[in-house]
Amino acid sequence: MSIQVEILDGPLPADGGAWSYPGAGAVVGFDGVVRPQEGEGEIDGLRYQAYQPMAERELARLARAIVERFGVLAVRVAHSRGFVPAAGCSFRLRIAAAHRKEAIWAMDWFIDQLKRDVPIWKSAVDAVERAGAGRASQ
Amino acid sequence: MTRIKVRLFGVEARSLGRSELELDLPQAAPTCADVRRAAAAAAPRLASWLAICRFAINHAFVDEAAAVGPGDEVALIGMVSGG
Repeated sequence: MSIQVEILDGPLPADGGAWSYPGAGAVVGFDGVVRPQEGEGEIDGLRYQAYQPMAERELARLARAIVERFGVLAVRVAHSRGFVPAAGCSFRLRIAAAHRKEAIWAMDWFIDQLKRDVPIWKSAVDAVERAGAGRASQ
Repeated sequence: MTRIKVRLFGVEARSLGRSELELDLPQAAPTCADVRRAAAAAAPRLASWLAICRFAINHAFVDEAAAVGPGDEVALIGMVSGG
């Protein structure tokens, strides 16, 4: 069993290619990508705020839960904090399991729980806000 | 009297314009329910959000009966939106 949890600044870097785990017959992946629209308006991206120690702890708890509940073999999960531009990846989950079904069920369950329990918040950022933030940091 | 600092995030922090709420509770051994009542009284703008918030102590969710000590890190966790 292997669990890896990361919270990283900005968009998540491109995946490093194939990943697996000894004994796995299925590896499923999910990338959450920032949409260019929020509601009816276009946005530049999303700003994520994470309550870091608790968010890491909750992500690890969910990873352990899918190991116990679905019998998956390994979990890699990463989430962004800070600004992620539209089309950037803000969330990545990889699950390795002996068989396809438990990996897919575990994926769906994990993401539902994430959206309920992991203390991370997003807010839309448009061009005006970004310009203001840039001026404020100069 | 017990002084408690409550960390705020997301819409709760934005609605108050700050990321922390300091409360003086009359109880010597307050619970999260006491903290919730004191927060609503001290910051009426939070009242509507408080109804749907959960508490975390030292980075773990707790229920209303959980005791809060002076050295605990207390956080109000509202609707989250990660992913």
